[in-house]
Amino acid sequence: MTGFKTMMGVSALALAAFFAGSAAVAGTLENVKARGKLVVGVKNDYVPYGYLNDKGDVVGFEVSLAKYVAKELLGSEDKIELVPVVASNRIEFLTAGRIDVIFATLGVTADRAKVIDFTTEYVSAAGPSVLAAKEATISKWEELKGKSVCGIQGSYYNKKMTEEFGINLVAFKTQPEAYRALKDNRCIGFVFDDMTLQQKLKEPDWASYKIAVAPYEFQPMAGGLRKGDAEFHEAVDMAIGKAEAEGKLIAWETEFGMPHSDYIAARAKAAAAKKN
Amino acid sequence: MFGLDYSWLADPAYQQWLLTGVVNTLKLAALSSSAAIVIGMLGALGLTLRIFWLDALIELFVEVFRNTPPLLQMLFAYFTLSTLGLKVTDPSTGLSVPLLSAFACAAISLSLFGGALAIEAFRSGIETMPRSIIDAARSLGYGRWARFWRIEAPIATRICLPGLTNILTNLFKTTSQASVITVPELMYYAGQIYNDTFRTLEVMILVLLIYMVLVSILTFAMARLEAFMAFPGYGRGH
Repeated sequence: MTGFKTMMGVSALALAAFFAGSAAVAGTLENVKARGKLVVGVKNDYVPYGYLNDKGDVVGFEVSLAKYVAKELLGSEDKIELVPVVASNRIEFLTAGRIDVIFATLGVTADRAKVIDFTTEYVSAAGPSVLAAKEATISKWEELKGKSVCGIQGSYYNKKMTEEFGINLVAFKTQPEAYRALKDNRCIGFVFDDMTLQQKLKEPDWASYKIAVAPYEFQPMAGGLRKGDAEFHEAVDMAIGKAEAEGKLIAWETEFGMPHSDYIAARAKAAAAKKN
Repeated sequence: MFGLDYSWLADPAYQQWLLTGVVNTLKLAALSSSAAIVIGMLGALGLTLRIFWLDALIELFVEVFRNTPPLLQMLFAYFTLSTLGLKVTDPSTGLSVPLLSAFACAAISLSLFGGALAIEAFRSGIETMPRSIIDAARSLGYGRWARFWRIEAPIATRICLPGLTNILTNLFKTTSQASVITVPELMYYAGQIYNDTFRTLEVMILVLLIYMVLVSILTFAMARLEAFMAFPGYGRGH
């Protein structure tokens, strides 16, 4: 593990150094204004944050947020270019200057903070939860001890499940297999990313199921910006704060079928209070 | 050495996983190998009886289980059989649950796959047996059964041992596919460990060595058995 961390640290430093050199030259805000277009890295395969709708347009919670920021900066939400990114390339896209900002399910971590700046945190993303039949009486992680629970091989929380909660984890290669096994009662529940399970519950096939055990952890999510660009950072934060104060994020939660979170409601309230 | 990092091996959880994985791999291999040998012998015996419908049945069994991937057989046993109705009611919860566990599905699939190959190996052993030996046995007054158990089976076993060694080593390695239906064997845990630690190369090298040692023990034992059972006048018995 130490070797990996060192490697990450070195590459982070290299990127940071590279950045310190170029960030001083280019102010992103002037660039964006001169260009008349905000270039944003978004997900296009992750319901509800950024995905393709029936017409093939990229929509989602973070896409709406990106459009709102574009409107605040440039006067129109159409002055935007959406660039699809994935977890493994989004930071490179940003540091290399191909995009101005990341709004792509970016979790706030200390390692990433060495390479990029984070905007205001706007979502508190849930970790894993457990999907189970409505009749299930289990509601706590501790109650799953010794029980067979379906999962996915390679998930980062699997060790915690078996070692800390004492779960008999039945881990599959892919999600469809795990869903099938849950329906076959090979396990009493399926532990997976909470947001994905919430979306699954909306399918008619899964009407008799519920989230039996709530996530044990939450990770704040924020936009990603190039390091040390204070002017642009402030402008984006102001736009996000304004959206929060206007209750836009709560409206997007409704629009994209997300369960309403206390976190977003509290932030909206705080932002509105600050404004008045 | 070579920049390889094995510090994750100090984690008791990973040690336990590897140990459990090796034990389950050995259990699965031992069970399916024994069953495959029994199936192979019964099948080959059935073929010597020259009964029309039995021949057809055995041939069908061999074609089905030898010509389909064992991975597919396992997935079929695990997901499809319960859907087709192979279910029982769990007395503690009242839920309808699949009758066969993941381990049972893997063991049965591997036994049938190995068995189909073993039938062919034993059959070839019986068929390549010198005709003169059978004639000699006949002239000495051996009946059909006595001839099979006392003459044909012992000689055929010796002739087909090298082929059987191939089948058993292949079967041992095929147990790694059981991770797909969640049997917690060596590959199942190896995948989880390198996903956790990112030490993909290190984990792969270790697992490779473990398989190599285990399969080498098997092939060594089979080689000794071959030497011990050498058939005078043939192969190593020369």
